[in-house]
Amino acid sequence: MSEAVIFLSMVAIFAVLAMGLRLPIGVSLVLSALVGSLLGGEGIGLRHLVEGSFGYFDTILIIVSAMIFMKVLQASGILDTITALLLKTFYKRKFFLLITVMGLIMFPGMITGSSTTAVLSTGALVAPVLMKLGLPRVKTAALIAMGGILGMIAPPVNILVMIMGGGVDMPYVGLTIPLLIIVIPLAIIISLWLGYKDIKTIGFDQMKAILPESFFKKYGFRIYIPLLAVVVLMLGKSVFVQFTPDIGIPAIFFVGSLIGLFCGRPFNFFKVTQEAIKEAMPILCILAGVGMFIQIMTLTGGRGWTVISFLSLPPVLLYLGIAVSMPLFGAVSAFGSASILGVPFVLALINKNAIITTSALSAIAGLGDLMPPTALAGIFAAQVVHENNYFKVLRFCLIPALFELFMGIGVLLLAPLIDKII
Amino acid sequence: MQFIYHLIVFYLTVNLIWYLFREKKFWNQVSTAIVLIIFLLRLFLIK
Amino acid sequence: MITLKKNFFSALILLFLTIIICFFSAFEFLRMHENKKIYPSKGLSTQTKLSTYFKDLQNTPGDTDVYIFQGQKKGGNLLILGGTHPNEPASFITAVLLVENILVSQGKVVIIPRANSSGFTHSDSQEGNPQGFSLETTDGKRWFRYGSRLTNPIHQWPDPALYINPAGQRLSGTESRNLNRCYPGRIKGRLTEKIAYGIMELIKKEEIHLALDLHEAAPEYPVINAIVFHENSAELAALALMELQIEGFEFRLESSPPNLRGLSHREWGDYAKVRAILLETANASQGRFKGKPSASLIVNGKDKNYVKAAKLGRLFVPFDEKGIPLKLRVARHLAAINALVSGLKELAPSIVVELEKMPPPSLVKKEGIGCYLRAQK
Ligand SMILES: [Zn+2]
Repeated sequence: MSEAVIFLSMVAIFAVLAMGLRLPIGVSLVLSALVGSLLGGEGIGLRHLVEGSFGYFDTILIIVSAMIFMKVLQASGILDTITALLLKTFYKRKFFLLITVMGLIMFPGMITGSSTTAVLSTGALVAPVLMKLGLPRVKTAALIAMGGILGMIAPPVNILVMIMGGGVDMPYVGLTIPLLIIVIPLAIIISLWLGYKDIKTIGFDQMKAILPESFFKKYGFRIYIPLLAVVVLMLGKSVFVQFTPDIGIPAIFFVGSLIGLFCGRPFNFFKVTQEAIKEAMPILCILAGVGMFIQIMTLTGGRGWTVISFLSLPPVLLYLGIAVSMPLFGAVSAFGSASILGVPFVLALINKNAIITTSALSAIAGLGDLMPPTALAGIFAAQVVHENNYFKVLRFCLIPALFELFMGIGVLLLAPLIDKII
Repeated sequence: MQFIYHLIVFYLTVNLIWYLFREKKFWNQVSTAIVLIIFLLRLFLIK
Repeated sequence: MITLKKNFFSALILLFLTIIICFFSAFEFLRMHENKKIYPSKGLSTQTKLSTYFKDLQNTPGDTDVYIFQGQKKGGNLLILGGTHPNEPASFITAVLLVENILVSQGKVVIIPRANSSGFTHSDSQEGNPQGFSLETTDGKRWFRYGSRLTNPIHQWPDPALYINPAGQRLSGTESRNLNRCYPGRIKGRLTEKIAYGIMELIKKEEIHLALDLHEAAPEYPVINAIVFHENSAELAALALMELQIEGFEFRLESSPPNLRGLSHREWGDYAKVRAILLETANASQGRFKGKPSASLIVNGKDKNYVKAAKLGRLFVPFDEKGIPLKLRVARHLAAINALVSGLKELAPSIVVELEKMPPPSLVKKEGIGCYLRAQK
């Protein structure tokens, strides 16, 4: 059986299980990987299945710990307090609100290079404010998802560029300006596009009416300590790395969560963890399943076949190939897309400035975090606003994603010009 | 640092097993079991 | 009450299944940890450990065997590093081949076949590689492990999100487990940085003059079939290139980029002031375009995807239906080592290294590696 047939049957089985039989997506992925292994003549391929899911072990740790942190923010009343603060500050300035909110959402992504972190931390903070000011739930989620992705691309830390740079021996130096050229216009346009029409400026009395309870009076400044701790620890990682230990994102969130135990309304930490696991479980299993799927796809030659097929596109279609394949491959993960497809594309564009091409490609690969079934940014943004169907969120991400895609392709095409300017 | 992460993984493994027994829906239990595999293997420093 | 019982029962069964799966896969994962033996030639003077040069490595997974071949006559000191990246088999196999065959008549040769021994204990996730491959020797099969480019995460955990290496370069977090980004190492650093530090100490204490780091790269990687040299060895590299051309091996010369930090060919030269050179051959089994991964892909190096990629102009080496077999890659490494050693003789007669019984590259290329190896005992 050829690798293409095996791969396509894996996809078909996945579709039948997930859409036909309505099994959870993660379980469907695991089962289709198992069938792929059998079809490829590898038997059950137990070692490969388990090894594949380990590819996402670090991501899973980040997601669970971020989820716990988010639940702690809610349980301790910190979330309400911050919402109240933001609402009081911004209720009559809509442009300023949108830009600030966008910056806030992006911030954790900028310093960790992970969109999930952004969506689940500051994304969760600003969501109630936006919704109280009239932005529909799904649009709020779309804004948060896009903010997370832009944060992931924005300097100082862009892991996607680092991955591509690693494949072509390009040091991570001089990326700030090209990345800002891409991100700043997008951040402004996307936040206004999604929010300007719906956000209402309201009067003081109206604002008072929707203001959630602030726990600032009761607990004082310490209510902000968990958030501050997380920000300082994250900054330490990218700004003063020489002075602060890098304890990794999961530990940062755990530290923040544990501090949260003592800084606001009391709550049961174990129960909060259980809630976090319950909410994160679908995506955790999807990640484990995608890991297995990819490993079997590689094992049976399907990955090589896919990559080489995209690269076989005629040169005139190269940019189209980039625009289609990189976000599509992001279903694996944006990082996987950067590594497997990003590096060959950087090499195909080797006559242009690698700093600019990797920056632009990272913007395109970043969109992978909107691609089902993983769609990390979309799924968590939906969860932040309590929307069960994340496809509704993705629908509103479509136009902003196209903005980002055109921006990326535009920068690729104009690379020689930008090279001269910067 | 490795010790702290060991502790985190231990705490989450306990939580996953607890959740496995508390969850009512069968397919959610299956999902939990799938995720539990990698947590157990890392907890015992096998992979 | 009944539903509670039912879900308790299914949980119990699932937990049992999970443990069974863990048990059987653990069996396969742990198999990667047994060390396959190397059988040194009678020219070996001392076999020691990297931890003799840096005590902190003792009883860690980072400790590794060091083979020292001391010649009768005084001369130069040569270090050959294999297995920096355990998914680059030509590197490890070349080092093994040398340990099992050479005699040294002048100078000293220090060989580390498994520079990152932790990397040999696991395989990369989502790459689908086999855990090893076998070569046919004159008296039977011989097994070798195929590992990962990086240190095993169970030995060095967790990765930082952002890695700033000892030379100050910012890299993605997983690179903290890449030995060839961790030079010159850190005394109190992570395990991989400690290995790098240990190697720097060895270079100083053994008074190495010329240090070679053996590698392979994916055929789509621009620096390939290459001699990458620190600027202190430009002349030596050029001389070696000429000799290699005469022998019919095409190489390209690449100067070590001064802003790419943490790599052996940069930091060995900068910090230890030795002539530092890195050698690359083309290995399809570590590439992004590879078809079905297999032991045969590793050994025979044939891959139809790479043939296609070559036709599309995506590769930096010629690649046809015949592939690039391991024996050719090893022969290239041997030829380059020969050429560098004889170049050294010409440039610096006071630090000559004289190697004997080295498997001749032309024969290795033609007849294979197996006839220079012993079978498993
Ligand atoms: Zn290498």
